[in-house]
Amino acid sequence: MILDAAVYLSAGVAALATLLMIFQKNPVKAAMLMLTALLATAGMYLAFSAQLLAVLQVIIYGGAIMTLFIVALSVTPQAWKDKPVPGRAVRVLGLAAAAVLLTELLQVSTVLRAASAAPGFSETGTLAIAMNLFGRFAFQFELLSLVILASIVGAVALASRRTAP
Amino acid sequence: MIEFFEANKDILLFTLAAGLKVLVFMGGIMGFAALLTLAERKVSALMQDRVGPNRASVFGFAFNGLFHPIADAIKMIMKEDFVPGRAEKLLFTLAPFFALVPVLALFAVIPFGDYVMVFGYQLDLQIADLPLGLFLVLALSGMAIYGVFLAGWASKNNFALLGAMRGAAQMVSYEVVLGLTLVGLLMIYGSANLQDMVRAQGRLLFGAVPAWGVVLQPFAFILFLIAAIAENKRTPFDLVEGESEIIGYFMEYSSMRFAAFMFAEFVEIILVSMLAATLFFGGWQVPYLYETGFIFPGGSALPLDHYLVSALQVGSFSVKTVFFSWFLLVVRWTLPRFRFDQLMGLCWKALLPLALLNILLTGAALVALGKL
Repeated sequence: MILDAAVYLSAGVAALATLLMIFQKNPVKAAMLMLTALLATAGMYLAFSAQLLAVLQVIIYGGAIMTLFIVALSVTPQAWKDKPVPGRAVRVLGLAAAAVLLTELLQVSTVLRAASAAPGFSETGTLAIAMNLFGRFAFQFELLSLVILASIVGAVALASRRTAP
Repeated sequence: MIEFFEANKDILLFTLAAGLKVLVFMGGIMGFAALLTLAERKVSALMQDRVGPNRASVFGFAFNGLFHPIADAIKMIMKEDFVPGRAEKLLFTLAPFFALVPVLALFAVIPFGDYVMVFGYQLDLQIADLPLGLFLVLALSGMAIYGVFLAGWASKNNFALLGAMRGAAQMVSYEVVLGLTLVGLLMIYGSANLQDMVRAQGRLLFGAVPAWGVVLQPFAFILFLIAAIAENKRTPFDLVEGESEIIGYFMEYSSMRFAAFMFAEFVEIILVSMLAATLFFGGWQVPYLYETGFIFPGGSALPLDHYLVSALQVGSFSVKTVFFSWFLLVVRWTLPRFRFDQLMGLCWKALLPLALLNILLTGAALVALGKL
């Protein structure tokens, strides 16, 4: 009973924060609302007793990614004044992209609803995740690190430009 | 009514015990933090050959300055609570909470003793016995960045924002090192539960040396201490605030809002001390003290009462905490501040590779000893 209430409460907070974020014009405030949504999602994981997922959500999304986001946003001049209203073409494009995303989400949600009814969904132990990451999907996992390598090379290239003649 | 109590006895007892533990443990931490604000000034006075604050008195008794924390609190409450006209009101108000709340929440996972039997019930001396306690430490300490950043940004003051940027960059960088130093501990203890980690440190190496984290991971301890001081934003890493010459992120704050930031710093000192004691110095373990009493390596034994053993263990944890808190105060008044490029260089070019090397060596040692 209490857990159900916690799930619905954090899901509601997440949905509300996301909506507010979309209509928020100030980038830093929008980022803070996104952080709220991410933390509420972590709360939802916790109510589903997926502790590891909840903690990782907070460490990676809340602690690392959003921090970098917010710091980067706050040094852009945009963060200090209201955004100019985008042109009509941009608005139509944005709406179209949102519609595509929504249909995709609806499609996926029917599949997920069927999956969650299956037993054993709530058991996400640290060991089970580790077994999958470093056993079954080790190759894919290591392949992903190439993305990080690319970003490191990019960062070095950007940083060294200042000292180059 | 009585049936309701009978049916929900376990939950009610658990809630009561948790509430009691929160009251006692958090009360103790708050009191200790208040004393640390005095100790900080007394230590600085000692190092600079001064007397330090000694004037606040009650009915003429000053006790060498013992009442200063209370006087400070009254002063802070009485001061004007000022909000700059251009500031973002909501975020400006939220920032002190972001700074203080995650730090206070972290104390829930720290075990301050083994357990005590009270009226036949086993009372664990830890507020929340979470299997992923160590990860929670990392998660919540990451949240503390928002307090610094929001304070600087919401003030709408360029100097405050500069301090906040420095703070965010510093805390993000050193958090990576902090997380990596703890990986070695995870490898040797095989658990992320802090109580399990402390229990694992009760073993003996070669039948005589306590298997404390500092013995098994001496390298990680030094890295942890440096990274933790940097996370705490204290000298020599205090470029975030730098009271005397660099203007910091909370420059627009006054009254109790400012006090929240300052108090958070002292609570963080206690947190770092407790984490250092828990992870590397055996937590509540006393060497050669077991549940039934002392058993020394030579074979001689000294049986002790259960309550005496528990008291010794809680006492041992307190002594370790006080020691590290004192150490952090002394460090502040000993070392000069780093330059910003030195700070970043130290983190990314020295500490990070060393932390990775530590993981590699720990793994190699575990494989060589056949423990993996």
